[in-house]
Amino acid sequence: MADQLNHNKSWLEGLWDLLDRHFKLLAVLPAAILLLALTVYPLLELFHMSTLKISFSNAEMVREPAFWDNLTKLFDDWIYRRALVNTLIFVAVSTSVEMVLGFALALAVSELVRGRGLVRTAMLLPILIPPVAIGNIWRLMYNPEFGVINSLLAMVGLPALDLLGSTQTALLAVIIVDVWHWTPLVFLILLAGLEALPDELMEASSIDGASYIQKLVYIIIPLMWPAIMVAFIFRSIVAFKVFDQIFLLTSGGPGTSSEVVSLYVYKVFFQQNQLGYGAMLAIITIAIVCVYLGTFALMQRRMARAK
Amino acid sequence: MIDPSLKVRRNALGAAALVALMSSTAYAAEPITILINNSPWYGGFEAVVEKYEADTGNTVNIDRTPYPGVLEKARNAVRGEESPYDLVNLDNGWVVEFYSGGFLTPLTDVDPDFTLPPEVVTAGDSIYWNEELQWPTSDGGKLMAFSPNANAHLWYYRGDLIDAPPETYDDVMAACAAHHSPPDTYGAVLRGERGNPIRFAFMPHMLVHGGSILKDPKNGDFTVTFNSPENLTALNKFLEIHNECSADNPGAIGQGEMIQLVLTGKAAQAAIVVAAQAQMDNPEKSAVVGKIQFAAMPNPAGMGKRPVFGSWQMGIPHNVPDARKAAAMEFIKYFLTEETQTAYAEGGGIPVHTGVLRGPLSDQDRFRWMKPYATTAESAVQVLLYKEGAEVEQVIGLRLNQALIGEMSPEEALNTAAKEIHDILAASGRNTGQLPDL
Repeated sequence: MADQLNHNKSWLEGLWDLLDRHFKLLAVLPAAILLLALTVYPLLELFHMSTLKISFSNAEMVREPAFWDNLTKLFDDWIYRRALVNTLIFVAVSTSVEMVLGFALALAVSELVRGRGLVRTAMLLPILIPPVAIGNIWRLMYNPEFGVINSLLAMVGLPALDLLGSTQTALLAVIIVDVWHWTPLVFLILLAGLEALPDELMEASSIDGASYIQKLVYIIIPLMWPAIMVAFIFRSIVAFKVFDQIFLLTSGGPGTSSEVVSLYVYKVFFQQNQLGYGAMLAIITIAIVCVYLGTFALMQRRMARAK
Repeated sequence: MIDPSLKVRRNALGAAALVALMSSTAYAAEPITILINNSPWYGGFEAVVEKYEADTGNTVNIDRTPYPGVLEKARNAVRGEESPYDLVNLDNGWVVEFYSGGFLTPLTDVDPDFTLPPEVVTAGDSIYWNEELQWPTSDGGKLMAFSPNANAHLWYYRGDLIDAPPETYDDVMAACAAHHSPPDTYGAVLRGERGNPIRFAFMPHMLVHGGSILKDPKNGDFTVTFNSPENLTALNKFLEIHNECSADNPGAIGQGEMIQLVLTGKAAQAAIVVAAQAQMDNPEKSAVVGKIQFAAMPNPAGMGKRPVFGSWQMGIPHNVPDARKAAAMEFIKYFLTEETQTAYAEGGGIPVHTGVLRGPLSDQDRFRWMKPYATTAESAVQVLLYKEGAEVEQVIGLRLNQALIGEMSPEEALNTAAKEIHDILAASGRNTGQLPDL
């Protein structure tokens, strides 16, 4: 009897010890399970859908295997390839410009003694405007007949521009809107980083006679690097998913000059009602974003090792 | 002690009240909810709903949704357990998906005695569905919906600048030559934006030149005829109007831009759907009040008219309780009467009753669009009403746009589109073929 009690006691203590040691893990387990259920299950369903041709008959969904058909279609789909190239151009150009402008603005504002709060608030405005309103505002501004941009150009004697109507400039026009919309976010992230830099380091470098450029290159940028990377990754992921601005401004045209992956997936999925093939395109797009992020992380690691 | 006669009278009164309550319950229709797109003709529809509620005491809720959201709301409604909508309004490009998928209840299944009034426009039979043929036709097909707006193109022109309605392309080009003075005035404006806008804009030009997309799809011959010499002639004429008469950015002109150019007095002529007519005489929106006249779409000299519908169809989802289906049916019957259609027109709607379109209202200046529209609606046809229609539209909408912006020659655009349409149809197992390249 005593042996039994001792045995139970030691078993309970062991369990308690186990719970105690893994409490952090157990505490996050419910949230993790919920998160997995909400992300992994839809992803698995998307994978499954990508292997099918889905249609409707007698108000029921009809699923037929069509993995190879969908794959063949993907390899033959020149619009998707064009959309991918446009997306990569959009990501590279818009993110780079936003980073440079955002950092420059953050540096300038961090030097301000007065009015920093006012500038910060003003810079928030483009982020707060709903994308639908942004699309309409810029569509009106770009309008070759009635838009304010052409009115201003006409006032200084310059010829009218049709940025959205030309295949050469449609993507650029959308990039300009994206830069206007999202540079403030980069600015805010980097300004927060700049404000957190230790003052004594900057003062010491000034005493040592470092110029502003030297401070920027050897102190500010290296210390700011983690914040720069966060802003860059965040912006490039969101840029990969660009949809609303292009949907509202050009719908991917003229021709395919501003077609991007998200918009094309939407057209295949919702306008053409090709659910299986649309799922295949979505999976490939997710894979491309993952490869992009993986490559980026690898480069980061190599750069860190090299240092 | 209660007087027995009083007791009898009290009981009789109670019984009468009960009968009255029961009868009112039996005859009042269930409240219904309608999914409809926001549009220039919405005001007319809303006026009819208000009149229906006032006349019958029935309740109608409207979910007025911008165009891009309507399809997904309708899909979600009909694919779910029970539809929140008792009537869904569908663009003609979507109806085959809903008919062939079994998502709508035929109107005659709800009320076997119902027949469509003969004066009501059938929008090229897009409101019927022949299950066996898998084709929208009244020939052996069931009545699946009604059209709240059959919506075909009209030729809008400035009556103060152009004396006679431009009947032929020669008339159009002559008027264009006389009034094209960019950037102040454009001779004639058509839609050229990629996708549905340019595809829909091109169709009347294609048909009037004797062209087609497919040979005889109704009877199962899906041979692609999109790269025919007739279509090439049509496309060249279409591009000629765009390039010689339109704004500098024809490939980016959608319906909104085109209407804007007309309303601001910058376009002397334009091909616009009839639904936009209400804005022309609205002094809050238009700088050309009373100046816009309407004609049927132009045709080559010596050839007849061949307009195209861009119609809306409203049907009852399959997954609605019977009482609500019956209530929806009550609304449909009310909507299609001549009296209601007159009120609909007066409220800014586009009636589908030819008795109204050709009736006394059409003699009023405010309704000067009615007679040309009646002529159009009586002869217009549907295109792309097959399950691959949405994909085919994307192909045509892209290739025509590329021809317009100079990325492809007209021949190359038609040949490429024809091959791509053929591939889509072949993949669906259709009996298809192709013409030799142009």
